[in-house]
Amino acid sequence: MTTENSVKFVDSANDFHKINSIETAVDIKDVTVSFKGSKGTFTAIKDINLEIKKGEIVALIGHSGCGKSTLMNTISGMVAPSQGEVIANGSVVKGPGPDRGIVFQNYSLLPWLTVYKNIYEAVDSVFKDKTSVEKHELVEENLKMVNLIQHKDKLPGQLSGGMKQRVAIARAFAINPKILLLDEPFGALDALTKSSMHIELLKLWNLDNRNKTIVMVTHDVEEAIFLSDKVVVMNNGPAATIKKIVDVNLPRPRNKKDITHDPEYIRIHDELLTLLFDKFSIED
Amino acid sequence: MKNSAKNLAYFLGSMAILIGLWELISIITKAEIPSPLSTWTVFKELMTEPFYDRGPNDKGIGNNLLSSIGRVFTGFALGSIVAIPMGMLMGSTKIGMKLLNPIVQILKPVSPLAWFPLGLLAFKDSGGATIFIIAITSLWPTVINTAFGVSSIPQDHKNVGKAFGFSTWKYLTKIVIPYALPHIFTGLRLSIGIAWVVIVAGEMLSGGVGIGFFVWDSWNGLSLEKILVAILIIGGVGLILDKGFNALQNAFSWEGK
Ligand SMILES: Nc1ncnc2c1ncn2[C@@H]1O[C@H](COP(=O)(O)OP(=O)(O)OP(=O)(O)O)[C@@H](O)[C@H]1O
Ligand SMILES: [Mg+2]
Repeated sequence: MTTENSVKFVDSANDFHKINSIETAVDIKDVTVSFKGSKGTFTAIKDINLEIKKGEIVALIGHSGCGKSTLMNTISGMVAPSQGEVIANGSVVKGPGPDRGIVFQNYSLLPWLTVYKNIYEAVDSVFKDKTSVEKHELVEENLKMVNLIQHKDKLPGQLSGGMKQRVAIARAFAINPKILLLDEPFGALDALTKSSMHIELLKLWNLDNRNKTIVMVTHDVEEAIFLSDKVVVMNNGPAATIKKIVDVNLPRPRNKKDITHDPEYIRIHDELLTLLFDKFSIED
Repeated sequence: MKNSAKNLAYFLGSMAILIGLWELISIITKAEIPSPLSTWTVFKELMTEPFYDRGPNDKGIGNNLLSSIGRVFTGFALGSIVAIPMGMLMGSTKIGMKLLNPIVQILKPVSPLAWFPLGLLAFKDSGGATIFIIAITSLWPTVINTAFGVSSIPQDHKNVGKAFGFSTWKYLTKIVIPYALPHIFTGLRLSIGIAWVVIVAGEMLSGGVGIGFFVWDSWNGLSLEKILVAILIIGGVGLILDKGFNALQNAFSWEGK
């Protein structure tokens, strides 16, 4: 992440546009998730259908507790649907796998391992036939990407929230998954670092010829529009459903400063805010 | 620096109270309980030649002490080798917990003395029996604390292993053991404390050599001073063992780093 990038706020020089793929990366079919508790079952999300094409960036937004993480975890395989199924990279999701990289909402770093080791153990686990030199380089490369190489020997307890988040991002990127699942990955970052991370994310996506599919949960409407091709707005739970899928047809590369004046951007921004906050309108 | 000087002062004060009470009791009992000073004289005598060896049943206090420490560590090590995996099994699976916990609950309160005849029967040797009772009475805190540590691994940590496909070995060595280690050390520290308490009782029964035997032998020889010296040494060694395990516990704990 160079200063040059953070000043320009442009994702890349690569300016061709978009989804040339018709392949489906993720297919969520009639998915319902219920949790069994002591006071009976609680249905978090209900009858969700969502198709995500290969190479798409999709944002999930909705109020806290509506089931965004739950929906995301059905893709990662951390949560099994009570009904329906999820198909990722062509096969039914039965559990987590290295083809899907996860950044957890709460970072989930192992507190007894250094920053370096936290990433190394994931890399070592996924790339069993790489040599230790290759694995070492991969870890260092990703640490540089998130600008944490000078903190590599620290323990997570010695890092700020934003730094922890970047370690979690580096760890997910390092295993080079086809699908990246990011649960509020930039939530703890300040505006400037956040912008740089957006650029890094898009750079990575471009480097990979926009073949990586990215699903991210966010509370930040601007971030969702700037990064995504589709914004999925969820209803409030329990038994949350998809309220609307809003397409973001803004040309890429997008420029963070200019984009806010684009009439299409303004229209989408308005639409999303209305979808999110309709029940708080003055007429009520 | 200032703090450690303060702590030292408190420790010395505490010792002064102990010696003062002791002196008082000695005066009240008209020296039937030996005074600190006469005990000190005997202590110095014993220390002039702590490692003499005049055949069975007549060895220096140092020999007796070393023999006891050796037995304690042997019994404790054997107990821990059983206790740690057993605790892990209990902590990691519901079935393990349900099957093993009743056994722990039933055997834990049994007095070491009750185990002694069984040890004699099994090992046909009082030394072996002593080690056996140390092992079987000291392993419970390690079992319970290990089980607690392993069963309380937060979901977040487990998720890391799941999400990145850790092998069982990696899961065990990078998640389960590091998380449970501070708990395991708490258990070990309690266990070595029990082992050290049990050794004296065990050696009084087994005879031959050891600090427990030394106490018994001194009673038979009517030397209360020697018994008091032994008590102080037993207490001192117990304190050192506890501090040592406390240091280990801190060294292996990732918390607060
Ligand atoms: N393991 C679980 N057991 C029981 N209930 C759960 C579990 N996980 C989530 N829930 C419930 O499901 C609902 C949705 O939770 P989820 O974490 O998906 O929300 P979210 O949209 O990600 O919220 P936030 O924006 O605050 O992260 C909540 O009511 C939550 O209490
Ligand atoms: Mg969430």
